[in-house]
Amino acid sequence: MSPMTTSKQHQVGGGFAWAKWTSMALMIFGQCLPASAALGGDLSSVQADQAHMKAILKTTAAPAYTLHEIKTEMGTTVREFASADGRVFAVAWHGPSVPPMQQILGTYFQQYSAGVQAHHAGYVGRRPLNIQEPGLVVQSSGHARGFFGRAYVPGMLPPGVTPDQIR
Amino acid sequence: MRKFLPLVIVVSLGFLAGCGGNGGGGSTPVGVPPAGGNVQPILVNGGPVSGVIYPNGAFTSVTLCNPGTTTCQTIGGILVDTGSFGLRILSSEITLTGLQTLTSGSSTLYNCIQFADSSFLWGAAEVADVQIAGETASSETVQVIADPTGFGIPTDCSNGGIDEDNQAGLGANGILGIGPEPVDCGLACDPTGGNQFPPTPFYYTCGGGTCTPSFVSVSQQVQNPVALFSTDNNGTIVELPELSGAAASETGSLIFGIGTETNNQIPSSATIFTLDDEDTFSVTFNGTTYNSSNGTASFIDLGSNGLFFPDTSIPTCTDVPDFYCPTSLLSLSATNLGTNAATGTVNFSIDNADNLFAEGSGADAAYSTLGGPNTGGGFDYGLPFFYGRHVFTSIDGAAVPSGAPAAPWWAY
Repeated sequence: MSPMTTSKQHQVGGGFAWAKWTSMALMIFGQCLPASAALGGDLSSVQADQAHMKAILKTTAAPAYTLHEIKTEMGTTVREFASADGRVFAVAWHGPSVPPMQQILGTYFQQYSAGVQAHHAGYVGRRPLNIQEPGLVVQSSGHARGFFGRAYVPGMLPPGVTPDQIR
Repeated sequence: MRKFLPLVIVVSLGFLAGCGGNGGGGSTPVGVPPAGGNVQPILVNGGPVSGVIYPNGAFTSVTLCNPGTTTCQTIGGILVDTGSFGLRILSSEITLTGLQTLTSGSSTLYNCIQFADSSFLWGAAEVADVQIAGETASSETVQVIADPTGFGIPTDCSNGGIDEDNQAGLGANGILGIGPEPVDCGLACDPTGGNQFPPTPFYYTCGGGTCTPSFVSVSQQVQNPVALFSTDNNGTIVELPELSGAAASETGSLIFGIGTETNNQIPSSATIFTLDDEDTFSVTFNGTTYNSSNGTASFIDLGSNGLFFPDTSIPTCTDVPDFYCPTSLLSLSATNLGTNAATGTVNFSIDNADNLFAEGSGADAAYSTLGGPNTGGGFDYGLPFFYGRHVFTSIDGAAVPSGAPAAPWWAY
């Protein structure tokens, strides 16, 4: 075939758009959100995550925990598991994008980031993420437009709750 | 309420400067490719980084051309990946100066991609003609990977992960994403797609030192080049030869199109597995089923460099716990299940990764029995799955051969 081409399609309208009101909304949210976030945080952090991700929230009760499910417009779902005392002990996610980790990991974000660095140190190649430290477990798998992962604090799991339930 | 600005293109000066320089993977003037050339060699050869072996990475070359011209550059060391969508190349490897940068007003369009291993790539969205074998994707958006100057990468892109903006980190000169979707985001990122907010982390307009998440029309998103080919554009076949154990290198083929030529017909012996909304399917292993509905999705992904699956009974290596180190070769079996109820048994073997890496004086790059844990997840059939198989990947929304189910699907 010939290496013909045209750039016309790039010169007409229908290109990517400014969404000024979106950036305004981001500013408003950003200014009124508490700094605390999900993992290890209290229930107010769930609402903070919902606002940050501009998502809808559904809450269901299980015997040993309360599940707060946050779903973004795009379809990325974050599940935050809260114990009876109102502390988020685990988060799980799946969907077409990776959720904002600083938002959902809160005070555990730095430990996560350091764990990622260690995971990559020394050799190349792509594989699932598996951070298993005494105070934090983060596991992630999937491919572009289909990500799956979870993070939990082993010492915070309520009695009777196993990692297999954190999906 | 949204304000749409017309899109313009900045064409760099130096457009007529010839065929670029001689850095990176070299520079080659490219003429009209031979008709019917839908076969591209791929090599599991350790990759382009001097002194570093990329285990189980399939590498090839692509030719970038200034749009509408024969001013081109061929870049080797590109990792072939069926788990992502679009062509992404390190800016440091590109010597062409006439690629077209997508802009809006005084701002430039940037693209971000994150991977499941928490690495990410950031770079400008630029338009090039992309030639692979005898196929051409005209005026397609590619990501030119480079850290920005004058502003920082948005934190929802970096996300606490690893910036693989260099050859050593990436282990490659770029990534050729030819998975089962035509673009890297889709309608969710399109201004007409119905979303209220631009999803992150995908597209950003950056100017004046700041970046704002942005909508981008599907036709201008980073595109799977195969979907833009004028022919043979409905999918791919990846073929790697049978391999027992380890080898220094393996040579295979990337064939474009499914059922469009005599060399890309689906054999009657193949099974087609259709995919769910997240381009995954179901795998049953040791009595447990792993799929997206229970948060443990399973998938085939040439860009993963081993067979990754949950099995707490197999010891992991003490030095590199991302791989399994059984005391002897394990013969295992799993059952795949498509959303179309098609099933198939996969027999595979897992060997001790420490021993594998030590064999061949540490110079091997191809390993058929390399695997590791995917704790908390499902089955990730990485590159070893492709040894001895012809793996078809059909692209979502593309035409399929008569009698085949609607895309996307895998077949082998």
